[in-house]
Amino acid sequence: MSHLPRHSSQRVLAQAAPTLSAHHASPRHSVATPPALRTRQLTRRFGAHTALSNVDLAVHAGEILAVLGPNGAGKTTLLRLLTSLVEPTDGSIEVLGRPAAGTRRQRVQTPVGFVPSGDRTFYLRLSGRENLRFFARMHGMRGAAARRRSDELLDIVGLAQVADQAVGRYSHGMQKRLSVARGLLVRPPVLLVDEATHDLDPAGGALIRDLIKTIASDGTAVLWATQRLEELSGFADAVLVLVDGRVRHHGPFEDLLRRAPARRYILTLGDRPDQSTLRHAAASAARVDVLPGPHPRVLLELHPDAVLGHAICAISNAGNEVVACREERSEVLQAFLRVTEARQR
Amino acid sequence: MSVGSDHPVTRPAGEIAKLAAMLRRDFRIALSYRTAFIADIVNIAAQIVMFGFIGRLVDPRLLPTYGSSRATYMGFVAIGIAVTALMTVGTGRMTTAIRGEQMTGTLEMLLLTPTRLSTLQLGWIVYDLLYVPVRTAGFLILVTALFGVRFAVSGIVPASALLLAFVPFVWGIGAGSAGAMLTFRRGGGIFGYATMALAFLSGAYVPLDIFPTWVAGLQDLNPVAATLDGLRRALIGGGGWAAVAPHVNVVLPVSACVFLLGIGVFRIALRRELRAGSVGQY
Repeated sequence: MSHLPRHSSQRVLAQAAPTLSAHHASPRHSVATPPALRTRQLTRRFGAHTALSNVDLAVHAGEILAVLGPNGAGKTTLLRLLTSLVEPTDGSIEVLGRPAAGTRRQRVQTPVGFVPSGDRTFYLRLSGRENLRFFARMHGMRGAAARRRSDELLDIVGLAQVADQAVGRYSHGMQKRLSVARGLLVRPPVLLVDEATHDLDPAGGALIRDLIKTIASDGTAVLWATQRLEELSGFADAVLVLVDGRVRHHGPFEDLLRRAPARRYILTLGDRPDQSTLRHAAASAARVDVLPGPHPRVLLELHPDAVLGHAICAISNAGNEVVACREERSEVLQAFLRVTEARQR
Repeated sequence: MSVGSDHPVTRPAGEIAKLAAMLRRDFRIALSYRTAFIADIVNIAAQIVMFGFIGRLVDPRLLPTYGSSRATYMGFVAIGIAVTALMTVGTGRMTTAIRGEQMTGTLEMLLLTPTRLSTLQLGWIVYDLLYVPVRTAGFLILVTALFGVRFAVSGIVPASALLLAFVPFVWGIGAGSAGAMLTFRRGGGIFGYATMALAFLSGAYVPLDIFPTWVAGLQDLNPVAATLDGLRRALIGGGGWAAVAPHVNVVLPVSACVFLLGIGVFRIALRRELRAGSVGQY
């Protein structure tokens, strides 16, 4: 569970915005602005296995690009290539238009922040403040600057109150926030976040997303690898779907949603209905099928641009009591499945 | 890409500041493990007691003479223990440190910083490089106080110079061991056993005269044996620079070769792991 109360985190995040803007000019990119992060034909092979193949992507300042994909799709390999923990077999990486082809020397000249997926990436016997100051020093910051920046970031991520506590006593959520703080130490133009919310409770996940959203709105380009589809709505600006190391979809989040099949809902009715009557009543808004089983349930598949309320009204007006309604599967999940399953067709 | 191009562009002063940060980190971590600290003091005391009793069994006539002084067993073995401790720390510490960083997931985080590999290598052992001499001095003071062992003050500076020439040898083995650990993940213990065997066969605990002649014959090229003999000549026999110089001549070239070889092995291993993307795995 996150340490910080929700209202408190929002206050802290609101205070953070001006602090974060030290080097970013504009929060949203224009068409003429080159991307903060770009890859061209990025490829990584491990022996005979191709983990990533010809990946082209671009993330602009202030943009959040969500990287989706099933297990083994190449998400982590992509992030490790971008941090240069792994060297590319082929292709190029550019940060702010400068090549960062994966060597340590090049990376130093074009730093990116990295929030790894593991929750054990700190010295657990040291406090959060000591950890941040240590990594700040290792990034080459002078003593006073390292102290100032660490304290500033602890405040931003809402850990100032527990800054002197050993990290080993932090919750998952607190460690994750500390990890975000570490990723921002050098004010990177690009922040890479690997599965930051996968082991967090909903409130903890929301807190991290709020934090990342604030960071992005201040001009940092964020690449967010995740398996949690439900967190993308209202969060990600664009989506990149990887399947078997290849890009299946790269574009605005709305474009992905357009690939979703019809929205489907399961209605529980008061009595077992007559299928033909139901179909006739709801025909203008949805297709209706009575589901087998002991309970009176129907599957409602909305037509494009149809409104769920209209369909339910029509069914209700035809003399059926609608007791409950739930979405069969999220449309993001459906779109994701459609994109990832395309390889099999 | 060559290994050389792996150096981030950094200032020497900045690298020294990073060493200080790593030293501070390890000191803070060591302070947090109070039990381990106490256990180490108990270990020193146990060694002194154990070798004190063993010393009663040893016939003083079997011990070598340095200069005009015949060594006591405690004086003889105290120097052996001090050198063995240095070897154990120097050869094992880097492996332990890298292993620890892998386990805590901090190794990759460190590699993401613009820090030279040589800075990291030194940073992983810098705390021990300071702690071990303090520990050794404490050990020798205790031996002096409890067993009346007298070390020649005039031999301290030449002995320190010889130790300084010996340190790269230890560090080289440590770096090679760390490289092997990065590549094979396991088996770092082999280097530990080999170090202990080397120290034993070099006369750390017993005079070389009691070994078979062919073992004693190998000691002319053995830097550990040369270091031990030189230190004893300086500290027990009171021989000055003249007594130590021939030993420095043996130790220094071997140290330099082993150091370069060890560092090379480590860098190749690290480059290989970075290329494979498996540096953080354990």
